[in-house]
Amino acid sequence: MIFKKHDNYTQYRFFPTTASIAFTIAIAGLNSTPLLAQEELNALVWCDHTDAALIEPFEKKNNVKVNLKEYEGTGAALSIISQSRPGDWDVLVIDGVDVPRAIDEGILGEIPSSALPTSDFFPEVVMKDNNTRNGRTYAVTEKYGYNTISFDKSKVDIADMKDMSKLWSGKYDGRIAIYDYYLPVIGLVGLSEGIDTNNVNTANMSVIKDKLLSLKKASKLVGDVVSSQTALATGEVDILVGGGEWVTAVLSAEKPNLDWVIPEQGGLRWSQSIGVMADSSKKDLALKFVQYITSPEGQAKLATSSCFWGMPANKKTEPLLTSAQKKALRWDNQADYLANSQLYPVPDAALDDLMQDNWTEMLQN
Amino acid sequence: MYSRLSNILCGTYFITIYSFIFLPVAVLVLYSFQDGSLPIPPFNGVTLKWYAEVFTDSKLMSALANSMIVAVLSSIIACLLGFCAAYALSRYRLPASAFQRVLITAPMTVSYLIIALGLLVLFNWMGIRLSLWTVGVGHVVINLPLCFAVIYASMGDHQKNIERAARDLGANNFQVMLLITAPMLMPSILAALFLSITFSWDEFIISFLLSRFDVTLPVEIWSLLRSGLNPKTNAIGSLVFLLSVGLLIILEIFVFRQRSPK
Amino acid sequence: MSVNSDHSSVRKAWYFVTPAIAWTIAFFVIPFAFMVSVSLASRVGRQIVYSWDLGNYINFFSKSYFLKGLFVSLEITFLVTIISTLLAYPLAWIIAERVPKKWQRITLIMAILPFWTSYVVRSYSWLLVLSTNGVINNSLLQIGIISEPLPLANTTTATVIGFVHFFVMLLTLTIYSNLIQLSPNYKRASADLGANAFQTFWHVILPLTLPGIMVGAFLTFVLCIGDYITPQILGGNNELTLPQIIMMQLGRRADIPTAAALSIILMGVVTVAYLLCLRWLKMERT
Repeated sequence: MIFKKHDNYTQYRFFPTTASIAFTIAIAGLNSTPLLAQEELNALVWCDHTDAALIEPFEKKNNVKVNLKEYEGTGAALSIISQSRPGDWDVLVIDGVDVPRAIDEGILGEIPSSALPTSDFFPEVVMKDNNTRNGRTYAVTEKYGYNTISFDKSKVDIADMKDMSKLWSGKYDGRIAIYDYYLPVIGLVGLSEGIDTNNVNTANMSVIKDKLLSLKKASKLVGDVVSSQTALATGEVDILVGGGEWVTAVLSAEKPNLDWVIPEQGGLRWSQSIGVMADSSKKDLALKFVQYITSPEGQAKLATSSCFWGMPANKKTEPLLTSAQKKALRWDNQADYLANSQLYPVPDAALDDLMQDNWTEMLQN
Repeated sequence: MYSRLSNILCGTYFITIYSFIFLPVAVLVLYSFQDGSLPIPPFNGVTLKWYAEVFTDSKLMSALANSMIVAVLSSIIACLLGFCAAYALSRYRLPASAFQRVLITAPMTVSYLIIALGLLVLFNWMGIRLSLWTVGVGHVVINLPLCFAVIYASMGDHQKNIERAARDLGANNFQVMLLITAPMLMPSILAALFLSITFSWDEFIISFLLSRFDVTLPVEIWSLLRSGLNPKTNAIGSLVFLLSVGLLIILEIFVFRQRSPK
Repeated sequence: MSVNSDHSSVRKAWYFVTPAIAWTIAFFVIPFAFMVSVSLASRVGRQIVYSWDLGNYINFFSKSYFLKGLFVSLEITFLVTIISTLLAYPLAWIIAERVPKKWQRITLIMAILPFWTSYVVRSYSWLLVLSTNGVINNSLLQIGIISEPLPLANTTTATVIGFVHFFVMLLTLTIYSNLIQLSPNYKRASADLGANAFQTFWHVILPLTLPGIMVGAFLTFVLCIGDYITPQILGGNNELTLPQIIMMQLGRRADIPTAAALSIILMGVVTVAYLLCLRWLKMERT
């Protein structure tokens, strides 16, 4: 045993040496690359992709492990990418309106359009202007839905919900929640002032900001997906601005009194695109994943995944959905909705800063 | 001995505060049995399906294991480093020892958010990828001052005399440290270890900012909850609670009872 | 206090203390230095540009929501510290003085146990307890104290309640450990000199436990002002605290320079509090 030796000097070093070894192990651990038993695919996604029911069939079929990291908004996704090294990510899910930005910054790599079933899609959501450039495809739409007004129909007047201006009338003060994502809510408030989403600029932001501030005064909370969903479900609030089927469909079985409409001033349409990262080292596997997600099988699971539901881009998904699911998604009304909704505003850096600034100011007051 | 009135007042206050402390936990445990998809009123009925789901959720289970590993490893390292430093600074006269003491305990006054941010910037700059190891490093940073302070505070003069006596009897310095000092300080070493494991186990912000795919339990629960309230998280919260209670009962019976004088 | 100070002993001692010092420097001091340097930069597009100016700090004072964030953090922290101390002291006293010795450890452990559920899940449970349909409102309505549900959840009040819940436990522990270390001779001497129970408490016991209170209060201050989860879950985004704003800069805007500057300001506030504490303690001693 070590302490039977009588050399004081060596023995003195036992504890500090152990401590130093611990230190070294820690440093070595920091630099270690794990021994991969299985191939891995790293995807940066919205929270609806972290559903095991969606991911497991792909993992089993291709014997890979899919690592998912979710983000709360495009800004957050781009921030994660900027803090990562090349090769860290293979698949990116990003809002359709932000794909051009991602192409500009060289984040997305080209994918062969022949490999994608876009001919089976709802025509309005193919969004060639966003997903392609110069004839090259960089991303494909996978899911879409609406940010409008969700409400508890047993507690509010449905006719009022069709007119956004009623939110500022004082009738519903203290019963409103605002979804904490600045882009769609600013878009909605703009629509209530007759400003189209592609016309939002630094000049008319001041009008929007004032309406935002007064909306905040009339509301009880500003919440993320969990908080707003909970607040609506528990009856803490009766109206959710920025909600849509993505909030209510998940709860449709248990809370049938939750509903949503597109107001007469219009609503917002969100869409998610999926693409392969330009510096991925596993482009073939990533493309397989994209193909799985856009196949009817993947689309059905994605449409009804945890976190939030949404319409699948692929029309051929219809037979794979139950009639209850289709009803919750309002499958049959889509033509109408697609016509009455606008895409998210796409701000440049300066306008984006202004929007976030105003949003934070709204939160604080 | 004490007036009845004061007894009643004390008792009432005691019960009120303890009810306050246990209130959210009671709700948490209750709704882990909720027969419905949301852990909110009304309470529909009892079901164990959420507990079953917890055990079959491989991500949750691996997050649980990760938390345990990170907590234990980082606490051991923190205690080792803290013990060595406390021993050196209290037994030997080193130059600038006051400054060294302040340096080692400094992280205690800094919010975890700042420590996490600083490490994030450092690892970014060094090109080190985020992982459980980076989380562990952060946890050692927050626990080292604690271990050091706890052990240093209990290194008093009375122990020196025993050490001196042992040395007089022929033990060399190393034997003194291992056979005399360490056992005498065992209560504080164990206390420091226990506190470190507790802080590391439930720590969120450092784990959140410094991990990538392999996460600890608080981060996994946070991610689960981002998708909506779920009785499954109530179930895992209750499980952790029940595990701790069980562990404490075992410790109480086998360890503490033996130590207290009869 | 005699210590070994011969040359070889000192050299050996360095071996013992170096790992801890090295760790602290590598993973605390250097990251902090990085943070300070990044706070003097600014974010341009997706790059960090080192302009080496105090732009972010000036920005802090010019934007009302930053200043309000600091104000809200301080307000909440002070409220929480005072309320928790006021609630914890009687509890600590009851446990130390009235609970039989052999039950004291179990009593304390029972107070700590609830905090071994996950912090995040516990906070969401508070949200449910405080909601308009929750336990508190339902009971108050049934008893008849109120006629309409109180708006508790998603407010700063909920944040304060959530914090007090945790810090009452922490302060009880620190005050208790101080109380039981007091020699019973103090009380006996005071009684011998003719003081009644209240006077003994007010003039003897309370001042002697001030160190325990100060340590607990300072810990409460540091932990509370830097906490992100409780205000985020319980506050309803109604009044943002500084940590919430810092996380927003990080998560939504990828603005590390601003986040770093805000963090350093937060640290500055805590340091001021620390120095005030020290000064107050020194004054008490003289």
